[in-house]
Amino acid sequence: MSNLEPIIKLAGVTKSFGAVQVLKGIDLHVSEGEVLVVIGASGSGKSTVLRIMSGLETADSGQVWVNSVPLHDPRRAREIRGHVGMVFQQFNLFPHLTALGNVTLALLKVRKLSAEVAKKKALAVLDRVGLAEKAGNYPSQLSGGQQQRVAIARALAVEPTIMFFDEATSALDPELVGEVTSVMRSLADEGMTMVVVTHEMSFARKTADRVVFMDQGIIAEQGPPEQLFVRPQNDRTKQFLQRVLEV
Amino acid sequence: MNFIVVLASFPQLLEGLLITLALSAASIVGSTLLGLLAATLRVSRVPIGSQIARIYVEVFRGSPLLITLLFVYFGSAYAGYHMNIFAAAVVGISVYQGAYIAEIIRAGIESVPPGQWEASKILGLSNSQTFVSVVLPQTGKIVLPPLIGQYIALIKDTSIAFVIGLAELVRQGQAIIDRVGQPLAVYVTIAALYFIICYPLSRWVRGLEKRSQPA
Repeated sequence: MSNLEPIIKLAGVTKSFGAVQVLKGIDLHVSEGEVLVVIGASGSGKSTVLRIMSGLETADSGQVWVNSVPLHDPRRAREIRGHVGMVFQQFNLFPHLTALGNVTLALLKVRKLSAEVAKKKALAVLDRVGLAEKAGNYPSQLSGGQQQRVAIARALAVEPTIMFFDEATSALDPELVGEVTSVMRSLADEGMTMVVVTHEMSFARKTADRVVFMDQGIIAEQGPPEQLFVRPQNDRTKQFLQRVLEV
Repeated sequence: MNFIVVLASFPQLLEGLLITLALSAASIVGSTLLGLLAATLRVSRVPIGSQIARIYVEVFRGSPLLITLLFVYFGSAYAGYHMNIFAAAVVGISVYQGAYIAEIIRAGIESVPPGQWEASKILGLSNSQTFVSVVLPQTGKIVLPPLIGQYIALIKDTSIAFVIGLAELVRQGQAIIDRVGQPLAVYVTIAALYFIICYPLSRWVRGLEKRSQPA
């Protein structure tokens, strides 16, 4: 981990949906190049934290700095758009566009690249996820694993400083999980700053620099994977790990 | 029923048919543009625009086409602006049908999953870029069947332009009846002509619906 100013800083972040308080005061720093994996039961608030970091949700209180943008400031929050990447559980590919079209859209509309340059760039990222030969296929013509890899390519094409993964493998058939996690692992190896919400404990174990366990809207425990998985301190962490590792 | 008499007056019916087709085509274009505009305003976060669109839809869905047509034609004359009958019919039908089409398009826009907006937002696309490049193209497939259904209703509704004196199909038929009688034969012929226009469209809708069903 570097000693530089953290690229993500959350301080006292709370969030409620209606009467339910989902986040009850989150303090969290992520350093540049770090791979942070967030685990926890459903409803623990882990996806909400990720959505707040990516600018999809706004915190009710507290401070959120991502890539030097104060997301808690509504006048400046939109500056984050196009500078972070997000991979969703449901892929959220554009069904009316080919794999290539999905990847080039932001390059054409946001980066204003010429069609030729955008295509070249898109093919390069598709190649990076091993799908250059599927560039002309529509999402409906691809397997779930391939669709998610296209979604990763789409996010990478805009050269984000941080990549967020929101249960990126949860909707996949078990035999397709590996091809997605291996792309994620290679990104981590290349030094990408990543925040990953996942149920894949083996991915967390092998790839995370740090694992955060969330429980009922707070960070119950965090530490390097070898510590959190082997010698969890918190009883809730122990219970959770027992449950998920038994399955 | 003496169809020979009708046959002799067929050129007059064809004249009416052409007017009906022209009125239908112009009103389809007009109502679709109006409907698209109203639906866009309705889903936009511009409060006044969204309210205006809502009121527009409620007013015209809640009143008969006949009244809309009479209001446009005689109302404009009363206001000192003498409108051409054909133009008045196009305006009246477009405004009326536009309200229905707005709701069809709005339902289509809202059926696009929120994840599409979220993915676009993260990529840096503006709301209007997302609307034009991501949402609307997906809406097309969803709205096409109900939209064509609405066009069929519109084509049949053009016959109401009869009351403001437009020489469309029904009015030409009425003129033939006034001259030579044979109302049943004339009405059957007119109905058949409408059917010939509308049936292929309804076949098309059925085909689209079948294709959109998951295999």
